[in-house]
Amino acid sequence: MIQVNGLKKYFKSGDLVVKAVDGVNFSLKEGTFDVIVGKSGSGKSTLLSLLGGLDKPDAGTIMVDGIEVTKFNDRELINYRRSKVGFVFQSYNLIPNLSVLENVMLPLEFKGISFSDRQKKAELLLKMVGIGKDKFKLKIGRLSGGEQQRVAIARALANDPKLILADEPTGNLDTKTGKMIFDLLHRLSRLKKKIVLVVTHDVSIAGKADQLFRIIDGKLYKKTVLKNKNR
Amino acid sequence: MGAVIRGAKNIFRNFIRSLSIILILSIAFGLALIMLVSYYSVQNKIQEIKSSVGNIITVTPAGVRGFEGGGELLTTEQVKNIESINHVSSVSKVLQDRLINNQNTTLQPSLEPGSFGRRQQEQGGGGDRNMPGRSFIMSIMVIGIDNLSNIQSLGVGQFKITSGQKFDARSEELVSLVGIDLANKNNLKTSSFFSAYNNNIKVLGIYDTGNKFFNNSIIMPLRTVQNLSGQSGQISSVIVSVDSIDHLSEVQSTIKGKLGDKADIVSSEEMVSSTIRPLENIKTIALYSLLGALVAGIAIVFLTMLLIVRERRKEIGILKAIGASNFKIILQFVSESIMLSLLGGLIGIVLGVLLSNPIVKIMVQSNATAGFEGGPRMGQRIMMIMGNVQTIRNIQVLVGPSIIIYGLLIILAVAIIGSAIPTFLIAKIPPAEAIKNE
Repeated sequence: MIQVNGLKKYFKSGDLVVKAVDGVNFSLKEGTFDVIVGKSGSGKSTLLSLLGGLDKPDAGTIMVDGIEVTKFNDRELINYRRSKVGFVFQSYNLIPNLSVLENVMLPLEFKGISFSDRQKKAELLLKMVGIGKDKFKLKIGRLSGGEQQRVAIARALANDPKLILADEPTGNLDTKTGKMIFDLLHRLSRLKKKIVLVVTHDVSIAGKADQLFRIIDGKLYKKTVLKNKNR
Repeated sequence: MGAVIRGAKNIFRNFIRSLSIILILSIAFGLALIMLVSYYSVQNKIQEIKSSVGNIITVTPAGVRGFEGGGELLTTEQVKNIESINHVSSVSKVLQDRLINNQNTTLQPSLEPGSFGRRQQEQGGGGDRNMPGRSFIMSIMVIGIDNLSNIQSLGVGQFKITSGQKFDARSEELVSLVGIDLANKNNLKTSSFFSAYNNNIKVLGIYDTGNKFFNNSIIMPLRTVQNLSGQSGQISSVIVSVDSIDHLSEVQSTIKGKLGDKADIVSSEEMVSSTIRPLENIKTIALYSLLGALVAGIAIVFLTMLLIVRERRKEIGILKAIGASNFKIILQFVSESIMLSLLGGLIGIVLGVLLSNPIVKIMVQSNATAGFEGGPRMGQRIMMIMGNVQTIRNIQVLVGPSIIIYGLLIILAVAIIGSAIPTFLIAKIPPAEAIKNE
């Protein structure tokens, strides 16, 4: 369970103060697929970076299983990112000179898992997201956008985190591939009991969401979800 | 794959750029190694020269050098004053004289006058110049010494008895050691006799110094020469051995205090100082060039790593976002820096090994003759310098394992120092960098 209360993050831009996240309150439950929709510059990426421990808020709290993440020091935040959070980015953000397998093994290495164990786990994860064994040794640049995003999802799952944060995961993909990625993330939330929070400007996935939020100028509004037959 | 291997592999991400950096680094490291080798080779040579002349002070009568100049010879009383000085371990007394064929000996000199000798004669420099109608004949130097172990301090070079035996230098016997060239010229062998000072002198041994001048000489006990030449109690030079090089200046000052203006006093340190000066210059040049090459190496590594860190700012953010600690990321980047430096260093070592010897020899040969500046025209000092210049030119340049190990340690230090500030910047990059422009 993730509980967010009164979360604020302001930035200075010259003499102006930009309220990127302005008093946000919400909660997310395990096994749910939640969506935040917002335009560019609405503050959705900032909110995601606060939830993922990439940045610290100016005010408010984030509670993960009853522990206040917002009180963590830098070292504790590294541990939090390492064990509780998995990121999926719009541009995949894979390391280009590493192979598919090595990219997925990376978070496991940072957690201190032995080489053979992280290799086994990375292979399992890649199979789970639909990457064939023949592609394990390939460099990232040899894969299509959809395949790269699958690898990124496998990497996000590597340390078995509670929370998967996806920032515009279909932004660089065509509609068909984008739908496949959303379906994969949705399925993971159900199968692996993860909290999957997707930030997007694509309203077409709203029908899949357990909770749908709209963010406008740093303020979050909960929307009513129309039930989708495919959920 | 660990951070170290990942860092090492990263240098192949931009092969052309990495290759260029490696080549530039190899020049800097190669130059550094050559200068390091030069520094140690020259330092070893300086030590060798210093130890070869020992802790010696030479005292000569004021105004007298060999058979040149004018003034009064030293006396036994004056020398006793020197013997009583603290830190003086031994004192050897020398009296030099000349034998001239048909004047005071039947010996024929082994040296021909040549153009130099004839010029000396014209300028009144020696020989049988007072006998009109006679051709000029070279003289034979006689060295009277009371301690044969100090004979090399006279600048005779490598003194080696080739046959026979040494004499008791404190005796008054009519015995001698004869230079090998002089002995050959006059068919002298061990136990032969020759005539000098109207006496028959026995040859106890034949010696070889490796130089023609001293191989045309005769060495006899000091008192024998004093008695035969009618210079009883007189000394033309004193060789003072001091217990340590640290006391050389102190003893030299004391001798000056005791003998005042009656003697010229030169220490071995002073005698070789002009010879060593060009080597010291090379050492200084090598040291500054070494530092310059290292600073250049550090600057190259610094700028390269700064560029790489700035270029991979987002990647660093991603690594932090997926759980990497600052230490892991810094380790990866320092490994990359060390790998670049080591590859540059290996090529640099090859360059250094190949080029050290010729470069050091060029540096030494072009500087060695500078040691003659301001020196006297004659005497043992010039003989010593002549010998040492030859020795300097034969400088041994060895790129041994210890130098290579020093070089590798220096390369590691350059890689770590050069990447220190860029890696500090890594720690400052926020993990939120990963999510920017998304």
